[in-house]
Amino acid sequence: MIVITGYGIVSAIGVGKAETLDALRHHRSGIAPVQYLDTVHRDMLVGEVKLSFDELMARVGVPSDAEAPQSRTALIGRLALREALQQAGLTSPDDYATMALLSGTTVGGMDRTEIEASVSADGTIEHYNYDCGTSTLDIAHGFGQFAFVDTISTACSSAANAIAMGIEMVRQGLFERVVAGGSEGLSRLHLNGFNTLMILDSEPCRPFDAHRNGINLGEGAAYLVIESEASALRRGVRPLAVLSGYGNACDAYHQTASSPEGEGAVLAMQQALADAGLQPSDIAYINCHGTGTPNNDVSELCALHRVFGPQLPPFSSTKGFTGHTTSASGSIEAAFCLLALEHHFLPVNLNFRDPITPDSSSTPDIPVLPSAGDQVLPPLRGNEGVICNAFAFGGNDTSLILAPYHPAPSSAQAEPSSPNIPKNPLISLNIPKRKIFLLASTELSPDIDPNFRDYLSPLESRRLDKLLKRTVACSLQTLRQCPEVVPDAIITATVWGSAISAITFFHDMMRQGEAFLKPTLFMQSTHNTMSSLIAIQTHNHGYNVTHSQLDDSLPHAFLDAWLQMQSGRIRSALVGIHDSIPAFDNRSYLLCTADALPPDCHPLAELVFNPSSRIFECHS
Amino acid sequence: MTELLETLKQQVIDALNLEDLTPEDIDVDAPLFGEGLGLDSIDALELIMILEKEYGIKHQSPAQGKEIFKSIRTMAEFIQANRTK
Repeated sequence: MIVITGYGIVSAIGVGKAETLDALRHHRSGIAPVQYLDTVHRDMLVGEVKLSFDELMARVGVPSDAEAPQSRTALIGRLALREALQQAGLTSPDDYATMALLSGTTVGGMDRTEIEASVSADGTIEHYNYDCGTSTLDIAHGFGQFAFVDTISTACSSAANAIAMGIEMVRQGLFERVVAGGSEGLSRLHLNGFNTLMILDSEPCRPFDAHRNGINLGEGAAYLVIESEASALRRGVRPLAVLSGYGNACDAYHQTASSPEGEGAVLAMQQALADAGLQPSDIAYINCHGTGTPNNDVSELCALHRVFGPQLPPFSSTKGFTGHTTSASGSIEAAFCLLALEHHFLPVNLNFRDPITPDSSSTPDIPVLPSAGDQVLPPLRGNEGVICNAFAFGGNDTSLILAPYHPAPSSAQAEPSSPNIPKNPLISLNIPKRKIFLLASTELSPDIDPNFRDYLSPLESRRLDKLLKRTVACSLQTLRQCPEVVPDAIITATVWGSAISAITFFHDMMRQGEAFLKPTLFMQSTHNTMSSLIAIQTHNHGYNVTHSQLDDSLPHAFLDAWLQMQSGRIRSALVGIHDSIPAFDNRSYLLCTADALPPDCHPLAELVFNPSSRIFECHS
Repeated sequence: MTELLETLKQQVIDALNLEDLTPEDIDVDAPLFGEGLGLDSIDALELIMILEKEYGIKHQSPAQGKEIFKSIRTMAEFIQANRTK
């Protein structure tokens, strides 16, 4: 059993669980006009953490003359991480040295980049730095050395996917304890980016309301300490709740729009239910993604209807409190679910007035009434739990199931604290390993482009930047070598993401100001654009995750594939690295387990995972 | 009007990166979305940007765009009636 022993949260409605709970119970929204971000859009409504940069530095305890510059993302991340670790009783560097830190972010330290970037005489921008992985290291920096640090960057489902990976790491015995979540500070880049998509509401967002008109952006961070029940009991720490399942699927429909029927969301929720061994009727509450855009909410409602039928449990979106905290939303809303479970209330769906009128062409005829007012969440029995949804650009959809912890009558005695437990975090050595084979691989030359017309129609390729075109070509070259194997997962590594689009958007914003920016560039700027693009091009609804951790990005993508294969959730995966800085780097690999090996197929190599170094060794 | 139609074609080609097309390839009455050029919601946002940047037309809602962006001709007619520059 995977339990949660601590959690920390920072958002527009407060720093820490106590302030957050008070705001949720008293329906106090944190959405207000821009106060801290340096932007021309002063009237825009956002969910900022109500602390200036200097106040955040003071709260964290970083001297203002500290050498390492800190971004808002790093500072609010540290606040949330500290609260989580402290509650779990993990307060010394020795504790961290045996733990993994998994953090979701997409914007990373962009707010700092915007402050430091200066336009030189020839128009080039200096100091475009603070990639996602560095931002996570900045968060970790205040705590000492974690045994393992990874950044998951799947846009708005990043933190949820970090938690999902944490669950699997503990299940597969790589670590007994993991702290996972996400952090994202508001930046001019993504405020303007969402503005170009014309999905920012000038009024407080109204998720699931008939007159909803878009999102309010927010910022924040939350982390969960995830560990095995045995580990928690051995340490004498009371489990707060159970993480009983997760699902990750790709909508594979469009880079910015959800499919009308919510296919990715349906698959994610169904997988999570199956993983937890639950029926839809066991779910007592759903914290929806519910952004307040016309598209998301109707698509998510359709998905809810498909999964739960007419017996839809109470559901709400809490984005009326915090705004859309993008990469952090999955862990922030998981923390809301934990507060709801502990204090027996249903978080209200602020600003909901009129139900969406069913439109026979696209919306099913369902009672559309998100929970409103003070409703009680009765104590849950048995395996009953709540679902937390986080969906993202590219259709990266993830669902988590959280449940109250019911101690087994004998479990307290069954796991006596033992002085003989080794300190080594690797407890997996006795888990039988599945054989994994390398079936196909491609490495594109950095200097020579393939003929993109072999892989993309003119309509498909016209707005893709060169990195994206090379990514599709490289991936399809690999898949075409072994057409019998359709990958169950697409796992991508990238340090800089779609840097060509992101940096062009950034340059335009710095040079010409916050107007007339191109939505096409922003839509392609997220790190998971590549992974979801491969999924869209190949109609692949499987597991889809992007890792961005400097030189460790590709090893971590392989590790993720190993975890998923060990769990039995997937039998094959397309793993790749795609970057354009400092030079083009496009490599992709098709892997499968022994039971998925096509007949008469001669694998290129066997990949043997070394749990000590946590990397693959290639045995040809 | 003819001049505006030609300018607009080139602006659409540039904004949407329709690299394989020349202005002569575009029928001013052909639908831009769906079976015509096959544009989508992101392209609509780029078209809105053309109206704002090149013709000074503030355009608030993508939903309004449906009628305006039917074809190059409907777009040109809208521009002629509403342009501020």
